[in-house]
Amino acid sequence: MLKNEKTQEKEMKKEMMLKVSDIDPKFKYEISKLPGAENVLLCFQCGTCTADCPIARFDDFYRPRKLVRLVQLGLKDKLLSNDVIWLCSTCFTCIDHCPQDVGIADIVRALRNLTTREGKMPVVYKEIASNILKTGYAYVIPGLRLKKREEEGLPSLPKASVENLAKLCDITGLSKMLEKVRT
Amino acid sequence: MTETPTQYPDSEPSDGIRIGVYVCHCGLNIAGSVDCEEVAKFAAALPHVVIAKDNRYTCSDQGQELIKQDIKEHKLNRLVVASCSPRLHEPTFRRTCEEAGLNKYLFEMANIREHCSWVHLHEKGKATEKAKDLVRMAVAKATLLEPQEENVVPILRKTLVIGGGVAGIQAALDLADTGYKVYLVEKEPSIGGRMAQIDKTFPTMDCSICILAPKMSDTGRHPNIELLTNSEVEDVKGYIGNFKVQVLKKPRFVADECTACGDCSKECPVTTPNEFDIGLATRRAIYTPFAQAVPSTYIIDRDLCLNKENVITCDKCLKACEREAIDFEMKPETVELEVGTIVVATGADVYDPASLVEYGYKKFPNVITSLEFERLINAGGPSGGHLLRPSDMKIPKSVAFIQCVGSRSEKDGHLYCSNVCCMNTIKDSLLIKEHWPETRIYVFYVDIRAYGKGFEDLFKRAKKDGVLFIRGLPAEIIEDRKTNNLWLIGENTLQKELYKINPEMVILSIGIEPRQDSDVIQRLLTLSRTSDGFFMEAHPKLRPVDTPTGGVFLAGCAESPKDIKDSVTQASAASARAGILMAQGKVTVEAITPRLLAEKCQVCGLCARVCPYNAIAVDKETKRVDLIEAACAGCGTCGAECPFEALTMRHFTDEQILAQIEAATEQDADKKIVAFCCNWCSYAGADFAGVSRMQYPTNVRIIRTMCSGRVAPKFIEHTFARGVGAILVSGCHLGDCHYLNANYQTQKRIEKLWKKMERLGLDKNRLQLAWFTAAEGEKFASKIKEMQSIVDSVTLDEIEKSKVIVKRTAR
Repeated sequence: MLKNEKTQEKEMKKEMMLKVSDIDPKFKYEISKLPGAENVLLCFQCGTCTADCPIARFDDFYRPRKLVRLVQLGLKDKLLSNDVIWLCSTCFTCIDHCPQDVGIADIVRALRNLTTREGKMPVVYKEIASNILKTGYAYVIPGLRLKKREEEGLPSLPKASVENLAKLCDITGLSKMLEKVRT
Repeated sequence: MTETPTQYPDSEPSDGIRIGVYVCHCGLNIAGSVDCEEVAKFAAALPHVVIAKDNRYTCSDQGQELIKQDIKEHKLNRLVVASCSPRLHEPTFRRTCEEAGLNKYLFEMANIREHCSWVHLHEKGKATEKAKDLVRMAVAKATLLEPQEENVVPILRKTLVIGGGVAGIQAALDLADTGYKVYLVEKEPSIGGRMAQIDKTFPTMDCSICILAPKMSDTGRHPNIELLTNSEVEDVKGYIGNFKVQVLKKPRFVADECTACGDCSKECPVTTPNEFDIGLATRRAIYTPFAQAVPSTYIIDRDLCLNKENVITCDKCLKACEREAIDFEMKPETVELEVGTIVVATGADVYDPASLVEYGYKKFPNVITSLEFERLINAGGPSGGHLLRPSDMKIPKSVAFIQCVGSRSEKDGHLYCSNVCCMNTIKDSLLIKEHWPETRIYVFYVDIRAYGKGFEDLFKRAKKDGVLFIRGLPAEIIEDRKTNNLWLIGENTLQKELYKINPEMVILSIGIEPRQDSDVIQRLLTLSRTSDGFFMEAHPKLRPVDTPTGGVFLAGCAESPKDIKDSVTQASAASARAGILMAQGKVTVEAITPRLLAEKCQVCGLCARVCPYNAIAVDKETKRVDLIEAACAGCGTCGAECPFEALTMRHFTDEQILAQIEAATEQDADKKIVAFCCNWCSYAGADFAGVSRMQYPTNVRIIRTMCSGRVAPKFIEHTFARGVGAILVSGCHLGDCHYLNANYQTQKRIEKLWKKMERLGLDKNRLQLAWFTAAEGEKFASKIKEMQSIVDSVTLDEIEKSKVIVKRTAR
């Protein structure tokens, strides 16, 4: 029991400890060059963003303030491998209230783009993307449902131009990015 | 780098002009990006230069001693120091000259620190080349310098203090006690200012009005102080030592016979929210602002009184007043004052949080400001010192303070920290604890700045007494409709936890902002303001209470947000500075006023028309032109206007400026920008860019004039004829000119030149006009960057073309 507690404590310490090699000192400057994220270094951690964040109220881990701090510290890997960046609803309330005009939601978007480029996007997003590419809909509507629509006399759903979508994805490079995502 | 000064071979000048050049390393401030030894070697080879040396600190006693020795030993009759801004050390080296028996006007400075090494930190080669050019320009001007005699102007031993808050009161008392006559002008009916409204002061918890009231009555009774309340400064003319001030004395409608018995007020039928209690209580149309008011005379608010204009419909106060002090016939009166010095203690406004909708101020009754709190907790206030929350008049069991409301924000309110709110909140929380120890108090903050004497102790006391300090501001205040309590939701950033707290009352710790009407005083006294809107001091470290206008000093919150102690300290400092001038009783004015060459003058009167000070009297009949030296401030716009070269601007002559232009354009002119900067705003702005190490292209060469109005069209034409890439003319913002309106002449002349350039088929983009304040270093740096692209785009053909055309068409 005692031993168990000790190992637990050790693991916790490991979790909290940062190695210098974890820090990418250039990361904050890279981020600050992205549109909307120019003021990332001005954040003085007042916490107003978290205070009005609708997601933070329901999730114990999502703290926009903390995300900005991690950017400032240059903890790139920790940020990009973390699923919480996908929780932002981009409601922009944080930006509206930030006294230092830090584009928090824009920073989150930038982080998502970086993650996607590195193929670290959560699988669920890949599924949604491939659904859209296949059918034009984020959710694949089962045949049974379509048949029922017909029986009820509802008009058939509009057909998406999947070929054009595929072309767009190829040109923009989204297709390649999706391939990289590990399932 | 050479520790011991290096000496370079003498050259024997033919016309008797012997110049000594001293290149300062300023430690590594200059030597870090300029090769000073090379600059000194370069200087030694310039015409008329007898000796050139580089040393580590030229402004040190040793450095000055060396110069003095050399002046005697080498019979130097001109001195050039290449070091920092003349705005910093010109007086130092001028004194050095005088001590060595050289007229101080034979000294010239090359600014190779603020305008060179500090703004080109990473381009040593180019910075060194620029430093050489700057030295070449200074030597060129020095060759043409002439000795000057300064005029002495008497200083009136009277002071005007504008603003009767604690800073104005202190300044007035100090000066009056020293023995000078003081006029104290206050806009409100009583002196006292913000301090009178506050309950207790931090960190000692002294009762604010108890320590202020004795000072107020001392001010009211002082034989040397003339109190002008309910009055405003309308006009200021003149100059250091001799200001003529017009003060509008608004009528009180109650004569001095008033004993402040208050019988009239009881009878008055009209009521209105009381300004002193920020609308938390009411007053009548005839009233006294507060119990300790000085003067204690009552006043009638004629906007509110039923007796409009001259129609008397209500005579209740007239009947109530036994001493018959009420006089509805009183008229506004303009008082003319003559003073030698002026102290600006106009104070500050408080931030109005109503624009921050998320905090619901004015929407939710139980959200109040820290100033309203002061009135509520004050025993003499509307609630008799009981902290009653407005919705139900009950004492709240829990209170939350929100810090930084209107401060430290890019969006709502102001960018700066308001300095006093942290300690004010800590004091307020202790006041609540003192009266109602059971109250739960939360303070939501970003940083607590308890930096002053005794501040940390007070902060500790508050924590010990159980005040909860939570790091993290709530984003929003939501009112509970039933209880009128308030919900605050936010993040405790030190614990990464969300909080949801339901206090019964919220106090917004509001910041301090510049007075709404600061621009009036700014215009009247030709002051500058920093980007935050507060008045700017002459030097942020070494002349913190002086202003760029001679004889005008700053005290209190007019200069920046500060607490009572700092305001009082600064007021005493300002009165000491003003006192020095008045004790001396005279001041020498710089010998930069014009001289008339009667044989060239055609009595056309153009000079008189552009003079901002009416300092030139032209009589066309007798063909007489008189320069009134005492009224002249030396801007030089008359010299720029004269078509016959009949006016010589001393120390800034045409020949001297043309020599500087030629020196600046001797090499690679087509790649250069010549910038004419006025001494007060744009040269100071360029200095500010240097002090802040804002980097910009190295190819700009700055020529200093007192005012942009000095820049004659022929200077610009000559510069183009020399084949320069681009020209910048810069001055103070329109309306902020240090010489009243001389920069409007600049604008006119440049617009004329633009038209002329267009007519001649020249690219008018190459002549730029820009306005900077002394605080706009960044704007200056970006203007030079912008002009770099103009220089890059100008072709050699275009330059040759302009050279030819300008030479042909120049008058």
